[in-house]
Amino acid sequence: MDNSFWIVIAATATGTFAMRSLPLLWMQRHLEKRECNGSMDDIPLWLSISGPCMIAAMTGTSLIPATPDITGWLATLIGSLVTLLCWYKTRSLGWPIVVGVAVFGLIRWLADYGPLAG
Amino acid sequence: MNSTSHFTIHSPWRQGLRDALPLLGGYIPVAISFGLIAMQAGISIWEAIAISTIVYAGASQFLFVAMFASGAPLWLIIIMTLLINARHVVYGPNIAPWVPRGRAWPLLMHGLTDQVFALALIRLPQLEQHQRQGWFTGAMLIAWFSWIGGTALGAIAGEELTRRWPLLGEVMPFALPALFLLLIIPKFVSRPWVISLSITVIIALVLKLGGLINVAIPLAAGCGMLLYYAVDYREKHRG
Repeated sequence: MDNSFWIVIAATATGTFAMRSLPLLWMQRHLEKRECNGSMDDIPLWLSISGPCMIAAMTGTSLIPATPDITGWLATLIGSLVTLLCWYKTRSLGWPIVVGVAVFGLIRWLADYGPLAG
Repeated sequence: MNSTSHFTIHSPWRQGLRDALPLLGGYIPVAISFGLIAMQAGISIWEAIAISTIVYAGASQFLFVAMFASGAPLWLIIIMTLLINARHVVYGPNIAPWVPRGRAWPLLMHGLTDQVFALALIRLPQLEQHQRQGWFTGAMLIAWFSWIGGTALGAIAGEELTRRWPLLGEVMPFALPALFLLLIIPKFVSRPWVISLSITVIIALVLKLGGLINVAIPLAAGCGMLLYYAVDYREKHRG
């Protein structure tokens, strides 16, 4: 690959890194000036709303199954409900995801290779 | 996982690794696809690994490969990939109240991807200040290495893997929405949050289904923020 490939890679990597690290430094300096001690009350309201909204948007885009057929959507719906139910019981992060993925996989397997296939 | 409660951990580093494990379900299959697509676009194994190591930004890497393979102008490739990554600008400030000043933190921000941010935003406030750097390092490293490893695997044996275990690539990515659901569900405690977050999820889903893949997240999040302000304003001025 010629030099242009590496120039583009270097520019993209530098720009992406700058967008991830510089705003943190800026906000740290801003908080220091206001002598804040680390809580949500210290950051502007719009920023504290943006974080959860970003996560909610990521949830929405990631909910679309790799194969968006009826089985895929059904597996997503049931997998999500089982994940939430398991979270409600355990209030932990690991097990609800394991159980949710297992249920999602089971439904996909049953539809594609199991007794419901064909 | 409660966003306000503190919890005790013995090794922040290991806890970070454990918390980030579900990310692997989403990262590895996508990284394998990236490795495979990079090979098909004429990029070598080492170049694909280099992209995943130093750029480390999923969607923009796919766009980069597609544009580079089609012979797009260099300046346009740079602008488009950076535009896709522009949403990262709000991540650092969001976690800043829980990040103490230090030389290592700005470097660690290389690992502040969408998913690591989502995890950090919920977990960092629950940790003691001295535990946060260890936790973040563990979480970002396992996510980063899985992305690099997945790319290498995809570049070397992607075709064989997807042919032999087609179901695996479909099932494992469900770990990501499952994780995101668990990260936002503790926020469902007030009317403004319930309405704005639920509608944000729906808008993002519809936008992505409509083909607006690259703008779905920032646009949906923007709508959700406006909605939060509107519902909150209504609530305050009703009583």
